[in-house]
Formats: sequence, structure tokens, C-alpha cells
Amino acid sequence: MIVVTSMMWGCYPGGAEFVEDTDAVLTTFDSKFDFASKNKYARPDKIVVDVEIDNGDTTYVYMKDVFAQTIFDAIDENMEELGWTLVDISEEPDLLLNPAAIKSTTYFYSYWYDWWYGGWYGGYWGWYYPPYYTISSYTTGSLIFTLVDPNAGEDSPINQSQASWVAVMNGLYVGTYNVSRVTTAIDDAFEQSPYLKTN
Amino acid sequence: MKKIFLTFALGLLLIGGLKAQTNSVAAITYSIGFGSGDMGDFISQPSFRGANFDFRKIIAPNIGVGFSIGWNTFYQSQSKDSYTSGNTTLTGKQYRYSNNVPMLASATYFIKPGEKINPFVGLGIGTIYTRRNTDMNLYTLEQEAWNFALQPEVGVLYSLNDQAAITLSGKFNQGFKAGSELTESQSFFTLNIGFAFIK
Repeated sequence: MIVVTSMMWGCYPGGAEFVEDTDAVLTTFDSKFDFASKNKYARPDKIVVDVEIDNGDTTYVYMKDVFAQTIFDAIDENMEELGWTLVDISEEPDLLLNPAAIKSTTYFYSYWYDWWYGGWYGGYWGWYYPPYYTISSYTTGSLIFTLVDPNAGEDSPINQSQASWVAVMNGLYVGTYNVSRVTTAIDDAFEQSPYLKTN
Repeated sequence: MKKIFLTFALGLLLIGGLKAQTNSVAAITYSIGFGSGDMGDFISQPSFRGANFDFRKIIAPNIGVGFSIGWNTFYQSQSKDSYTSGNTTLTGKQYRYSNNVPMLASATYFIKPGEKINPFVGLGIGTIYTRRNTDMNLYTLEQEAWNFALQPEVGVLYSLNDQAAITLSGKFNQGFKAGSELTESQSFFTLNIGFAFIK
């Protein structure tokens, strides 16, 4: 049985082995938006990671500064390379860059009634029928950046600015914080968006 | 006199046994696959995960009819790359799988039946079930097709005795475009080696 099982296992093709293998970066943009004619952007200095609602009171939960700073440094470095200048919100920026981070956990339930398997259970050889119930979960973390023209709202009947660029960096979230996974994803997001370059 | 007669009868029986008409050939083979066309573009690496079962009923000294079934699993992991569709770009690692199950009615022409080295040619008509998975991030894109298929084959049987032979063959599995999920026809070449049991 062990031989057969290990042979079957050997037949099974591989796949993702490390959590960073699941990392993916998605970007999309408004093809009508003229990025090249703009060059000033503003951004907040905090990243919202959660919203707590308690008896109708809403409070934002922010990412710890030490982590947020790494993300801002990566953003600013990439934007500067593309020709953008970071300005204060009061200095009429052409675009606002809004970062957000979310964590989402998916639970799944599985059931396996192992009726055919003979083997060693509880000190005896024989045919046993142990049902297995497992409840598992995985958590993904996402960083979402949007670039929005604050003036575009003037042309909208509902005074809303559509995002002209959206980047979603997603991967399996694990307890340990791996800074290179985050900065690599941010670099990828800008690298795959060459149309953001200004004159 | 009785003794001589018995020996003679036994001798006849033995010869009769050796010269017995071949009724059927059943072969189990290990199969190595090489994708061609669209499948080769999707996965360029050869597959070392495959097996076939072939059965032929001998209806004339040179001709066998029966069926062929098989399973070939192709797998390839792509290093991190960007995929663009319209305004959207996705970057990450991709894991590609193609599972193929050919099921065909087959006819084989044996060129030198009864001889130690017996080359043969054959043709199968039937279907190939193809399931293609493209895994990225935590998601999989699954595309299936039931292709109408032709399977020409050339090979050789090397007799070990009157009941067993070693078989070596090459099959070209040509599946024709089917369904709307896979836009191209799916085809692959297999090299098969194994045992044939002759009855």
C-alpha cells in the first residue's frame, strides 16, 4: 500500500511550493486618461487596513508606521522614476494616490469518508472506516492602489472621480512579515504600467 | 506400441499448443508524451506521466480490432511573467497542466504475425478528453474539450514466448477542435513501451 501510494504521489505533478509563488499583481487603467500631461501627485501618510464600527461610530484602523513607511518609500521611488513629483494635498496635485490594505480569510469545510483504506489504526491492523472532517482556512492579503484625478468629479453628474489606474497586489498572507514580497509586488505594479510615465 | 502412440499424441498436443491460433493481444504500456501544435505551445516540456491499455481481438491472421485507452498528464511551471489583455495586466507565476484521455476504437495490421519480431501499423478513431488548467495566484482557469480524434500508430512486437511480448510503439494523437473552451485542436505524440499478453 505504501509503495502504491508513494508511486501515485510521484505521478502527481507539482505546483506552487512557496507562499510567494501565489503572489500576483493586477493593474488596469483608463485608456482615455492622459497621464503624460500630468506630473504632480499627493498621497496620504497612513494606510487604512480595517474599519471598526462600534455602535454606529466608525474608526479607521491604520497600518503600523514602520510597515507603511516601507510601502510609501517603494511607491515614491517608483513614481519618481516615472517622472512624478510628490506634493502636498494643498498644492493642487494632478492625481491622488490612495493606498489600502485588506486581509481576507476564506474558510472551507471538507469531508472524507475513507471507506476503502486498510491499514494500521489504533494499534490494530484491519479495515477501518474513519470519517474525516476538516475545517481549513487560508488568508490572503491585498494591497490596493488607485490613482484618481481629483478634478474629474467636476465632469461627473454625481461629483465622483473614476480611478484612472488601479493596482491590486495579492498573495497568501502568512504571520511573518516579508518586506521583499511587498516591495517586489509594488515594483511589479509600476513596471507593468509604463503608460504612467510623464513627459 | 501403446507407449509410442502416447508419445506421438502428446507430441501432437504440444505442437498444437505451440501453434495455437492467436485470439487476442492485450498490452499495457508506459507512455511518454510530447505536445504539438497548440498543446506544445502551452506546455513545451515532455510528459513522463502516462499509460495506455490496448486490446485487439484477432479477426484474421494479420488483423486485430479493439480499443485503446490512455492517460497523459503534461505539466509545466512558468517563471514569473506578465500577461496583458486589453487594459489589464497580470503578473505572477503560472502552473500549467494538461490532462488527456484518449479513448478510441482501433484496428491494427500485423505485418509478420507469428514471428519473433512482428511490426505493425494501426489507426484509431474516437475521442480525446482534454482538461487544461492554468493556475495563477489561488485560482485556476479550467478548459475542457472532447475532441474527435484520430490516432495513427506504428510499432513492433518482440515475442518473448508464445504468450508474452515486448511492445514498442509511437502514436500520434490528433484531436480536432471541439467546444468553445479551447480555441485550437489538441494534439500530441506518444512513445509507448510495455508488455503485450497474447492469448
